[in-house]
Amino acid sequence: MDAITIQILRNKIASLVDEMHYHFYRSGYSTIIRESRDFSCVILDKDGRLIVSPPMFFHAPVYRHLVGRILELYGKDGIKPGDVFVSNHPYEGGLPHVSDMAFVAPIFADGKIVAFSGTIAHKADVGGTVPGSTSANATEMFHEGVLIPPIKIWDEGRFLPDVERLIVANSRQPVLVRGDMGAQIAVTQTGAKRVTELCERFGSNVVTEAFAAILKGAADELKSAIAALPEGEYSAEGLLDNDGVDVERSIRLAVTITVKNGLATFDFSKSDPQARGPVNLRPSMVEACVFYSLIGCLGPRFHFNDGMRDAVRIVVAPRTIVNAEAPAPVSNYQMVNLKLVDVILEALARFHPERAIAGSGASSALSISWLRPRPGQSNMQYEILGSAYGGGMGHDGCSATAAHLSNLHITPIEILESEYPVRINRFEMVPDTGGAGKWRGGLSFQREYELLEDATVIRRFDKTRFPPSGLEEGKDGARARWLVHVGTKDEMETKGSARFEMKAGARFVLQSAAGGGYGAPDKRDPAALARDVAEGYVTAAGAAHYQKS
Amino acid sequence: MKDAKSRYRLGVDVGGTHTDLVLLDTMSGELLVEKVSSTPSNPALGVLNGVAKFVARGIPADAIEFFAHGTTITTNALLEMRGAKVGVLITKGYRAVQEIQAQARDGNLFDYFYSKPTPIVPQSLTREIPERSDYLGNVLLPLDRDAVRNAARQLHEAGAESIAVCYLFSFMNPEHEEETRRIIQAEIPGAQVSISSEVLPRIREWARLSTTLLNAYLEPVLVRYIDHLNKGLDEVGVGTQQRFLMQSNGGVMPFSAAIAGGRTVHTLLSGPAAGAQASAYLNEKEATSGLVTLDMGGTSADIAFIEGGMPLEVTEGVIARRQIDVPALDMTTISAGGGSLAWIDGAGFLTVGPQSAGAAPGPACYGRGGTRPAVTDADVVCGYLNPNYFLGGSQTLDVEASRNAIKTEIADKLGISVLEAAAGVRRIVDMRMADEVRVFAAKRGVDLSTFTLLPFGGAGAVHAAAVAEELGMKRLLVPPRPGAFSALGLLCTDVVHDYIRSELRPLADVSPEHADEIFRVLEKKASEELVAEGMKVEDAMFSRELDLRYTGQGYELRTPLDGLFNGRLDAKAMVAARDRFDERHAQIHGHAAKERSVEVVSYRLRLRVAVPKYVPTLGVAPAKPRAVAEAIKGTRTIYFDGRTPVESNVYERDGLDIGIVLNGPAVIEQFDATTIVPPTWSARVDHYHNLILERGNA
Repeated sequence: MDAITIQILRNKIASLVDEMHYHFYRSGYSTIIRESRDFSCVILDKDGRLIVSPPMFFHAPVYRHLVGRILELYGKDGIKPGDVFVSNHPYEGGLPHVSDMAFVAPIFADGKIVAFSGTIAHKADVGGTVPGSTSANATEMFHEGVLIPPIKIWDEGRFLPDVERLIVANSRQPVLVRGDMGAQIAVTQTGAKRVTELCERFGSNVVTEAFAAILKGAADELKSAIAALPEGEYSAEGLLDNDGVDVERSIRLAVTITVKNGLATFDFSKSDPQARGPVNLRPSMVEACVFYSLIGCLGPRFHFNDGMRDAVRIVVAPRTIVNAEAPAPVSNYQMVNLKLVDVILEALARFHPERAIAGSGASSALSISWLRPRPGQSNMQYEILGSAYGGGMGHDGCSATAAHLSNLHITPIEILESEYPVRINRFEMVPDTGGAGKWRGGLSFQREYELLEDATVIRRFDKTRFPPSGLEEGKDGARARWLVHVGTKDEMETKGSARFEMKAGARFVLQSAAGGGYGAPDKRDPAALARDVAEGYVTAAGAAHYQKS
Repeated sequence: MKDAKSRYRLGVDVGGTHTDLVLLDTMSGELLVEKVSSTPSNPALGVLNGVAKFVARGIPADAIEFFAHGTTITTNALLEMRGAKVGVLITKGYRAVQEIQAQARDGNLFDYFYSKPTPIVPQSLTREIPERSDYLGNVLLPLDRDAVRNAARQLHEAGAESIAVCYLFSFMNPEHEEETRRIIQAEIPGAQVSISSEVLPRIREWARLSTTLLNAYLEPVLVRYIDHLNKGLDEVGVGTQQRFLMQSNGGVMPFSAAIAGGRTVHTLLSGPAAGAQASAYLNEKEATSGLVTLDMGGTSADIAFIEGGMPLEVTEGVIARRQIDVPALDMTTISAGGGSLAWIDGAGFLTVGPQSAGAAPGPACYGRGGTRPAVTDADVVCGYLNPNYFLGGSQTLDVEASRNAIKTEIADKLGISVLEAAAGVRRIVDMRMADEVRVFAAKRGVDLSTFTLLPFGGAGAVHAAAVAEELGMKRLLVPPRPGAFSALGLLCTDVVHDYIRSELRPLADVSPEHADEIFRVLEKKASEELVAEGMKVEDAMFSRELDLRYTGQGYELRTPLDGLFNGRLDAKAMVAARDRFDERHAQIHGHAAKERSVEVVSYRLRLRVAVPKYVPTLGVAPAKPRAVAEAIKGTRTIYFDGRTPVESNVYERDGLDIGIVLNGPAVIEQFDATTIVPPTWSARVDHYHNLILERGNA
């Protein structure tokens, strides 16, 4: 196999993934597809190994588990051309949580499976105890929605409407879910069709060999980067506010990284036992955090694929927060991912200080279920709000952005107010929140909501008890906050993720967490500090914290 | 018949390195071409130098009746951050909008040392004004006029040269922004003010703010330039009544409209528009079955589709990482140019681009110190380019330098021969262009099988046949002067102005009368502006469009209303519009949902005023055409597959008469371009002097 054909096929798969992605986001129905783009499209080899990573990276390691399980369940003989499988099962399919629904289509050439096409997308509602399905305080996965183990929804080229009806019947948003499912299946089939065409043209052996070479290339690249690190062992740990059920009890995430003989081992065994609340992680998510951190730290230009698994060993002890046992709930995985990335990056920085970064904020999810929606509009408002990066070696943290593994678009205020009976009264930066340091952390923002109708409001968020930490003498960033019943005698701050029934006229204020600072604050360049004051990022009083005490 | 006083029309296209000028003699139909160096520090100078060259050739300047200009002055000012110092007024309480922007990161998602682009306006030049409207345009909080006055004064004192205003929901009710502009202009006479309800009255606050900021940032640059150029042209004695500027929507606007303000952003993506426009206009007959244009220059390739004689358009764009939501020709650009560098990446794969050798040092073969191989080096090594006839022989290429660069950087590392490596570089870059075309076609619901590929730019015709083969396309059209094609495009455009009004509402709730009223208000505004620009309303053609989407979707589709109504919109037209939307949705996204409710997001009006255009003259085949054999000026060895030497005939393009037919393998050389005819292709010259390449020997 020559290097040029391999590169041509890699480019072709990359452009195919791009094509699938674009089709889906233009054709999806729900705002979560269309505005937030919470989905991924991929091409996998015959064993379910991912070839080119999608923009929504943290889905990438899921597919290997999902296809592995499909192969286990059906065997190569039970999978036929024209099949499409569906699953949203965190334990059977490795999906991040029940709201994420996957479709997978096998690709055949010369009578054999040569590849798979796959997609994962968040669904507006799959049932469960709360509207939107992603509960902040579920205690079993059965609370989080209807569970679909890997089953066929297309059987040898024939659509099975019964399966679709069963799924849709379990949703509070049947129209949106059916529309998104239809678009998603179409995209999955497009992917399969295009790979079939590549096999016809280049020969299925050439395609298969190229996939193997692409996987090996990524493995070799990562191996040589790891081999260049100093050998050693470093640990780090961090605390999650709580599990959403027992709000007083924090949860520890811990990693020990060992680099030896060119192999990196990530051992998470010292993390806390699995939680009652929905903050448990599937191993696929732990893998996403490890590979994201490794690539970000060692070579942001590396292209992830499943070949990289050969360069790394990941240890997750059973019945811990990073490898829970069913039916432990998982719907709040994203903020746990973001905390885990902070912890991994802190330990990795000891091996590679040039890419050290302080703790970052975490995105939070807000869902508002309206009792009386605007005529003709959905009653479900769902937003993912970003936070800020920590400062790092030689770099201030970015404010007001989606950090690390999350990268969703914000829904514009003008769209929200036009579609839902809501008003955003304020959307402002909060001065002095960025962790002080030689390199400052990114700032918090604040948003005040006013409800114009009665609604159920759920916010899932982290980093309110344990703010993003500073590094190398840098200060912590400000913690996340949620003020409810604002302007009334009952005004209060929640202890974390929560759900409220609110009346028309109620106001609440969200504040995102800020990034931690890196390096001693008194080492900050005076010109940079003066600029921060001029821009209102730091107040005159706040600037005093940058003086040597 | 034209009189001698108004005999000439001039198109001037300013590029990064060269300024191309095309002068049309309307009496003879003849085209004169000039190429001069661009003068980035004072771009008007290059334009005037070019005009002077025509004058020196005996063209009287006062006989130039028409002047159309394509310039990247605003684009370059943005790329180099040389715009004006801008202050902005926003609704009080919303400073985070300009910080969070889209929230999602662009670029490499693994790089946690991420930064947003430097803000056009920092927070220190942002002023919050108490005022607020709701989503229907009802005023919730009246405008605080004193706050506007204070803000204007403060920003003026802080040195702001240009002021932007963007309030929430101003697209529903522009009164606060308009009043704000009046107050600012009373406070600071002569102030340049860009208001969002005029620049982009469209829903989504960040896109609108970003577009308005770009307008405010670049408007003083453009106005200054036009002023300068106008004076220069007057001094030379160019006698045109109206002078025109190229826009990203494929049309032109008069200089007077650019100076009047609010339209500067429409020039930002205009660079590649003229070429696509020329393709559409000059080859309308071809375009009915569809054209793909491939403009391959030094650093990138621009690709556009033309269907039914019209280029496709988009309404959202990004330039230099900044959001700009104005109508633009739908182009995609990839880093595949003659200067794109080839290298072995960390995983051991051969990769081309995105880095470019640029003009300096340039590809290794330029002999300007470049040691890294570029696409042009691969072209030279494989024999596609004549090292002694680059730019008509004004530059010679160093083949040895190309070979060495490819050997050291690629062949030795992969353990293959220099020729195989060079052919590999070409294969990768050609396939990338083809893949880009294919994805782009899929995105837009375009069926390529009946399309013709139209290459231009310096390198387009060198690579086009390979790209066409990869795409299964059977036909190429190479215009007579591929290098000056964009400048020619300037003589092929109409005045086009776009107007928009957002109002998010279920289509079922929009009465035909209401929609008609919105369009009439837009038409009135358009007519008034047209008159102010010195044109006649009688000459204008209006076309209406609705931006529609299924309820709950986040992106809308432009749905033209042409042919659906006569005079006034009625209920039947609204139903037909809905059907047309379903059809377009199915065409572009592969499915429609006829049972789902539809929302109107925006109303669009396009005004078009026809401008006298270049009409290509039909050539006549000579009575006794020269034989093909006579046109051969030599032979050259080309390695199409990197292994097999193939003796190919070399032709001079000017020596090929209308009607001539030749078979590949062949090379057709001309001053500004080289066309490759692969072994299984044939070429002929049509009556417009286009080269038509077709698969299969004649």
